[in-house]
Amino acid sequence: MMYDTIDIALLLAKIALVFFVILTLAAYLVFAERKVLAWIQDRKGPNRVGPFGLLQPLADLIKLLTKEDFRPIGADKWLFYLAPAMAAIPAIMIFAVIPFGAPLTLFGHTVLLQVSDLNVGLLLFMALSSIAVYGVALGGWASNSKYALLGSIRGLAQLISYELSMGLSLVPVVMLARSFRLSDIVNAQSGCWFIVYQPLAFVIFLISIAAECKRIPFELPEAEGELVAGFHTEYSGMRFGLFFVGEYINIIVLGGLAATFFLGGWHGPFLPPVVWFSAKVLAFAFLFIWMRGTLPRLRYDQLMHFGWKILTPLALVNIVVTGWWLVLRG
Amino acid sequence: MKILSDIAALLTGMWITWKHMFRRPVTIQYPEEKRQPYPRYRARIVLTRDPDGGERCVACQLCSAACPVDCISMQPTEDTDGRRSAEWFRINFARCIFCGLCAEACPTLAIQMTPDFEICTRDIMDLVYEKEDLLIDGCGKSSHYNFYRHAGIGVTQPRGNGAEELPPVDVRGLLP
Amino acid sequence: MPKLIIDDIPVEVAEGTTVLEAAQSVDIPIPHFCWHPALGKAGACRVCAVKMLEGPVKGIQMSCMLPVQEGMVVSTTDPEAVAMRRAVIEWLMINHPHDCPVCDEGGECQLQDFTIAGGHGIRRYSGKKRTHVNQYLGPYIEHEMNRCIQCYRCVRFYQEYAGGTDFGVMGSAGRVYFGRFQEGQLESPFSGNLVDICPTGVFTDKTARFRARYWDYDMAPSVCPHCSLGCNTTPVARYRELLKTVARRNEAVNDWFICDRGRFSNSVVNDPLRPRRAVVDSRETGVAEALEALQLRIRDIEEQYGPGSIAVVGSSRMAQEAAELLPQLAHRIGAGALCFSTTRKEQVETLALLELLSAGRSASQQDVRNSDCIVIYGCDPLNEAPMMAMAARQAWRAGAKVYLIGQGISLPCEVTECTALEDVPLAEAERPIIICNVSVRVELLDKLQESHSHLKIAGLFPAANSFGAAQVMRETGAISLEEALADGEIKGIIAIEADIPAALLDGIPFVAALDWLAAAAVQAAQIVIPTTAWVEMDGSYINYEGRAQQFSKVMNPGVPIKGLDPNGHPPHSHRTVAPGGEALPAWQLLATLIKLLDDDSRGLS
Ligand code: SF4
Ligand code: SF4
Ligand code: SF4
Ligand code: SF4
Repeated sequence: MMYDTIDIALLLAKIALVFFVILTLAAYLVFAERKVLAWIQDRKGPNRVGPFGLLQPLADLIKLLTKEDFRPIGADKWLFYLAPAMAAIPAIMIFAVIPFGAPLTLFGHTVLLQVSDLNVGLLLFMALSSIAVYGVALGGWASNSKYALLGSIRGLAQLISYELSMGLSLVPVVMLARSFRLSDIVNAQSGCWFIVYQPLAFVIFLISIAAECKRIPFELPEAEGELVAGFHTEYSGMRFGLFFVGEYINIIVLGGLAATFFLGGWHGPFLPPVVWFSAKVLAFAFLFIWMRGTLPRLRYDQLMHFGWKILTPLALVNIVVTGWWLVLRG
Repeated sequence: MKILSDIAALLTGMWITWKHMFRRPVTIQYPEEKRQPYPRYRARIVLTRDPDGGERCVACQLCSAACPVDCISMQPTEDTDGRRSAEWFRINFARCIFCGLCAEACPTLAIQMTPDFEICTRDIMDLVYEKEDLLIDGCGKSSHYNFYRHAGIGVTQPRGNGAEELPPVDVRGLLP
Repeated sequence: MPKLIIDDIPVEVAEGTTVLEAAQSVDIPIPHFCWHPALGKAGACRVCAVKMLEGPVKGIQMSCMLPVQEGMVVSTTDPEAVAMRRAVIEWLMINHPHDCPVCDEGGECQLQDFTIAGGHGIRRYSGKKRTHVNQYLGPYIEHEMNRCIQCYRCVRFYQEYAGGTDFGVMGSAGRVYFGRFQEGQLESPFSGNLVDICPTGVFTDKTARFRARYWDYDMAPSVCPHCSLGCNTTPVARYRELLKTVARRNEAVNDWFICDRGRFSNSVVNDPLRPRRAVVDSRETGVAEALEALQLRIRDIEEQYGPGSIAVVGSSRMAQEAAELLPQLAHRIGAGALCFSTTRKEQVETLALLELLSAGRSASQQDVRNSDCIVIYGCDPLNEAPMMAMAARQAWRAGAKVYLIGQGISLPCEVTECTALEDVPLAEAERPIIICNVSVRVELLDKLQESHSHLKIAGLFPAANSFGAAQVMRETGAISLEEALADGEIKGIIAIEADIPAALLDGIPFVAALDWLAAAAVQAAQIVIPTTAWVEMDGSYINYEGRAQQFSKVMNPGVPIKGLDPNGHPPHSHRTVAPGGEALPAWQLLATLIKLLDDDSRGLS
């Protein structure tokens, strides 16, 4: 395949745009979370920095950047420094394969609103989300702290377990779209969203991604009440910030994927596709925040029991039923 | 079915939090808005005087013993009239947790809590209050009590002249 | 031995024991005021009521008055007994003033404890309280008669136990009064024990009046340094000030009490004139620098005047640990003399008495109390070691004969005056004891001991650790300072807690003093290093009978907060050592100095 200059320029522009939008969005998601939680608890939330507290993320950023960069005695230096990046970068990389709008035509070029339209996009997502596990594992291990280690062990077990059900819940989607390419999956839903055919797979996927981004009720690796702050107990300043922002990037990305797999991606009537896509992502983000404001944390044994004995078998049954149905339909 | 009731429970919770999102916040925007605490609110501590104007505190060290964070210290001394009083008396408000146990322990009603909670300063050493800073000119909450009038050892009145006392015994009298 | 059951616990105790003691032997506490282990029973307070369920007597009984008998079944928790005790407490409180907050006994008051334990909180009696007029009882003891609960402990102690005559009980019925016939200082040298013995706050320690409360005390088991008896004490300190001293029970030594000298000699520790900082040539410095300066000065003196020109001088008031290190120091610096005593006479006498007592015949205070024939031989126990006189009195109370050889000596008991040892019928006695001091003619006693194998000797030494220092003296061949200085070879003196007469220091070019008292050597010294008083360190003394007794650190050294500028406290700048708190125990300083000298000689060779 040949690329001309404009293609490359467009590609770089898309990457820059995605980076900018996602990081800003993540920062404001933090703000939104604090606001929504405050409303749920009959409070006002941050309202002192800037109008309506809108500059709060900036203040947080400055605070995190100027804080002491602390490393515990006996910590594994390089792994300790590497772990936060391992948590944030794979999350943002997944976005490369998500189509966030209908293809445009610009200067005679057809521009896909997607950084890269890989034919195995779904597999790439699975692979990258497995790599993100390392951030948790290494961060906890390298901290030389009991709380961090316990948190990271929990994190490992949890992420691996729920990855399984998440992967299995996507198999019916692939079966329906007959492709691993995300743009194909989106296009396959131009008529009817997959959530209609696959409500069960959608629920399983939703639960699994909540576990994947370690959100309440699945935030056992952090579990403030038990483990101080779990795997990132020993982190401070911007390194902690990376873990933190990584979590919110994860929410955005997984929200985007849920929209892509089950809610028709950017498809939708009347409004422009990008707006539809954004709205779906934000709806997921809101759902996560709302859940955090409502649900208590699971016990560890409940978490494992639920993952292995309920979600995974259900996903398998769902695959079989879907296959049966597809065969019957011909 | 249990699973259905479980799901219903989850959804009930979600519904409740949803409703709360649209409630009026209860937040009071201090310092622009202030709320008047009740008179029995537990904040800045004072040492009061008895109705006759004397220092109530007898430096008995019960408050410092009761204090769970050990932020009261004092040195008792004897005044010329035989009264026991504090040579110095110090509360470290940087440590005080305003639990009120000192006021509860005080047998002379000297140490009392007031509703003045705004005592923050920039220099933490300014939070160490000495007796002069603590002592006020009134009786505080119990305006009638004077410990020495009831103590029965004759400090504010001659021995045997208190309300609950008989005149001193004549030990050489052997009448029954 | 009768067997009985107390609160379902079977107890077997000796004949004649009271029910109260039997209960205490199995850790069942029964409240009591008038009963005291040293004073016995009086049956005055009625608060030790128990119920006898089975056995020879039945019903409510006073456990302190009732000797145990076979088959008794006792309940201390029976509702009837509890109600009785509660009622007794309530009526004991009828006349008690409402003044705990201003009473020095508060917090360590038996009446407070048992009132609360008895459940009495709110006064129901609406009548008036009887009051008394207090007396001035001297500078040591404060009197507050309104607090009295008529337990008679004070008068039983003062008159019966200690033999005092100027204090007693007056009046009748509800108006009994405990005091002197006329105001004035209490005469007994044991009067301070009234403070310990009174279960409430009638007698309190005037020297520690309004200073602190029990829960704020710094306390530790200690030993009295004021004579060679080594009575056990618990000194009490707060804010780096030694407030008071109370007796600590040791059956073999002082039993329950101490004398007034041991109790009221606390001001030496708080003395503002105590050396608090190290001084080198009139310049204040740190202890480490002063030790280094001392080490250099030792070398200078030796270079200038030749080896053997330094004398190391200790004393019999230093702790045994320091005394043991002195020979090592003397050895390291090649000292010309090691001294523990000033005069030759003192040295010879002390060593002779040590020799006599080393035969294992020395008598403890308990031996004296249990003796049946006591000879006070040429010494004055009431002045030299007051508790020894108290012990002799206890023996006399139990029927022993006390013989006195010597003139003008008073004792708190009846004595038979004799002119010579031969007049005393030692052979007839079962447990005879001779009490003497260092001036005794040792040969006489030696001979006597040969013929009377059961004879024991209580030899009073001049200071707290005389026995221990004498042992070191004997082992190392130390000489007296007088002898050491006789030939004029000594050009430097290192005085460690030594009381050297100023005259002997005249003309000595170099004097160093390690001391916590402002002794003469400290005034004359070029190098002064402060040491800690006994209450500020761990250590041990060996008392007159050869009994090594440890004492523990009660307080940190330092200028008492009371003496500091009130505006400077609390210090708003933070420091790790209290003002004047650099002093170290003499043994620690000596060990450091020895190590410095060792390192130095290794570096030189
Ligand atoms: S309020 Fe509580 S913490 Fe504060 S001084 Fe009183 S007892 Fe201490
Ligand atoms: S308890 Fe009351 S009387 Fe006692 S020292 Fe404290 S303030 Fe003073
Ligand atoms: S003065 Fe004390 S010891 Fe004496 S009778 Fe009264 S309470 Fe008992
Ligand atoms: S008899 Fe001696 S050792 Fe005992 S308390 Fe008195 S001075 Fe101290």
